[in-house]
Amino acid sequence: MNFPSVDYSWFGNGSVIALIAIVHVVISHGVAIGTIALMVTMEYRAVRTKNAKLDQLAKKIAKWVLIITTTVGAMTGVGIWFSTTVIQPDSIGALLRIFFWAWVAEWAVFITEVVLLIIYYYTWDIWKDGKAKLRHLKLGMVLAFASWLTMAIITGVLAAKLTPGLWSETLSFWNAFVNPTYLPSLGFRMFLAVMLAIALLSFFIRWRVKDTELRGEVFSVFGLWGAISLPATFIFGLWYLWAIPEEAYNMIVWSTGMPENVFKLLNGVAFAILVLFLVWVVVKPKAVPWLLSLVVMGASIGFIGEFEVVRESIRKPFIIYDYMYANGLLAKDREKYDEEGFLTHATWAKEKEVTAENMVEAGREVFIGQCITCHTVDGWRSKRSLTKRMDGWDEEAMKGFIPTMHNVRVAMPPFMGTDEELAALAAYISTELNGQRTNNTQEVSAK
Amino acid sequence: MMFLSTLIAPDNQLPIPANIGLLEVLIVVTFMLHIVFVNFTISLTAGAVGLEAAGMIKKNPIMDKMAQIASFHASIHKSIAVVLGVGPLLMVSVIYTQYFYASTILIGKAWLSVLILLIVAFLLLYLYKFTWDKWQNKKALHLFVGFLAMAILFFVPLIFIVNVVSMLYPEQWATANGFFHSLFHYPQIWQRYLHFMLASLATGGFYFFIYFGYKKRRGATLTPAEQAAKVFGVKVGFWVTVVQLVAGFLLLFSFKKEIRMLYLGEDLLLTSLLVLSIILTIILCACLFTAGQKDSSKAFMASLITFVFIIGVMGWMRHELREAYLQPYLDDNPRTTDYTVIDKGNEK
Repeated sequence: MNFPSVDYSWFGNGSVIALIAIVHVVISHGVAIGTIALMVTMEYRAVRTKNAKLDQLAKKIAKWVLIITTTVGAMTGVGIWFSTTVIQPDSIGALLRIFFWAWVAEWAVFITEVVLLIIYYYTWDIWKDGKAKLRHLKLGMVLAFASWLTMAIITGVLAAKLTPGLWSETLSFWNAFVNPTYLPSLGFRMFLAVMLAIALLSFFIRWRVKDTELRGEVFSVFGLWGAISLPATFIFGLWYLWAIPEEAYNMIVWSTGMPENVFKLLNGVAFAILVLFLVWVVVKPKAVPWLLSLVVMGASIGFIGEFEVVRESIRKPFIIYDYMYANGLLAKDREKYDEEGFLTHATWAKEKEVTAENMVEAGREVFIGQCITCHTVDGWRSKRSLTKRMDGWDEEAMKGFIPTMHNVRVAMPPFMGTDEELAALAAYISTELNGQRTNNTQEVSAK
Repeated sequence: MMFLSTLIAPDNQLPIPANIGLLEVLIVVTFMLHIVFVNFTISLTAGAVGLEAAGMIKKNPIMDKMAQIASFHASIHKSIAVVLGVGPLLMVSVIYTQYFYASTILIGKAWLSVLILLIVAFLLLYLYKFTWDKWQNKKALHLFVGFLAMAILFFVPLIFIVNVVSMLYPEQWATANGFFHSLFHYPQIWQRYLHFMLASLATGGFYFFIYFGYKKRRGATLTPAEQAAKVFGVKVGFWVTVVQLVAGFLLLFSFKKEIRMLYLGEDLLLTSLLVLSIILTIILCACLFTAGQKDSSKAFMASLITFVFIIGVMGWMRHELREAYLQPYLDDNPRTTDYTVIDKGNEK
């Protein structure tokens, strides 16, 4: 609790970041990276085959790429940062310091990308013949490279949170950046981005482009990219899975909130649909069914959302593996807090010491300091809501469970603090749960 | 000072990743780049809405065309303004972690509302621009779209200003209660807002003057609307800058006395910067006045150079102001700057 706190009580603090991040990942991967690659390929094909209609369709796509990436795309990107600053300040504060120069480089590439995209769209009808058109096409290729480069940089940061590798020992930037999952996750993301773009665009192409010849042309571009990207996504995905820590691997199914057979069935069916769709696009590009394209679009958004949720969840209890827990507390501070107290070291805690009079208030401060990043008092996600999770528990039961919960619930960081702070936390949760303290020794059924 | 700094957290245990002096240069430079494009966006949007309304009232197609040009440029500059903003945000987060994070979280919900507000404003700006010709017979609706975007863009700077002012007053954090309360809780906010909005308007006028002046200098023939936009830009730039001289003093007098006196003789650097900024502003006004009288190549170049210098001096002064306010706290709450002092032991 180095900083004040914000409470999105019903929605949940974690859900705020997740919502912004998922929207951003769909746009950054699907639109900014994948669609730009497809769009420039379409322009290339239009130049090679002198197809003016295909060229104008590519331009129309460029307009939407411009509109979407410079509004929702850009603002949700900044938004991940804004929201983590508000909700997980210690974590983002640490990441900015570890990866400062990567972020500076990312910033320079972002500016380049946006400026190129603006020039690319607004010069479409100005640089339209002969050498000027080739210049335009080259500009498009540089733009596609710049948008890929933004991913190549940020992936270093994201991958390091799960597998910091040698960084925990050396604190060296390059050890953190080129970490054990960097290459597999970059490969996985870039090909996934293309697959997502194909899925997003196909539906709109099928819906808005009436000319079947033109539609066939577009789908042959998609077919080529898809034939490379689907197997590549699969191979890089396997490499990625192989490179993550075993504890994290074991949490994948759990983190989706699905029973194992549902998880396998859903992902299996989605994968099969994608394969069927691609075969269709390659074999009969003029006759791709719209319903199939709609299903593929939905499945792809679902898949990338699932991937982000899983990636964010499986590194629990940590937010930076082996260094910082999900609630922003440092692993090395545990002993200190257990002995000297958590609240005495919490700058913004309203209560610094637990007394007989302030049990509930002090417990609330412990809750804000250690639980609120992920948990709510009574929010909509039942897994995160304490009144749902601890319904029926009394204070004694909580006091018995909380100090050892991280052994049973592997996603939970350990409780850090004195016995008095533990009692205060139990008193607070109990008051929220029952409207009163429950510090008698009645029998409870632990759920 | 201890009693004043109880809410200031110890700095992040990981060291600041570069020399502080270098980062201070970077924060000034990156912020100036960002803010100039923010100025363009706000003023060109306001210009578009104002000119479109004036054109409707006076039934003047030239004004409508000028407005359309302004809306086109606004929608481009807003994209650049946003990406440029990432740089100074990174710098301020890294150098002033103990202050900026606290001030941000204190207005956390308003801070996150910036995302929704700007997404809506930017989408409206595209709608405004791309429907200009199509909605010629739906002028009122069209103007309303532009007006909404403008209203949002006028509001958002307040959120940023509250944040960067709040970080200078740690002793007032305990009594602050969210964004709207903070608007009146901290000093300087409204003076800064006035100074910023006037700077935006002047910068937008100046932008028109420079953009079309440059186009003409390259040999292009300006359309009547472009020529009118250039002349209008000079006028706006001149008159707003004159008013700005007054607004600047209002801001100066909103600082606490010890800080204000640094600018009024007690500190050589700050006093020189202030004097320089006033002299440059007067020179700029003179250049713009000359440019308004006749199409002079000298006035064009001189005003461009003066403008760049003014932005530089303003950015520098703004940084020194923050340093002056934070100095006592920085002394009491040292930043982590050295790799060797980290205790990096893991739990394992």
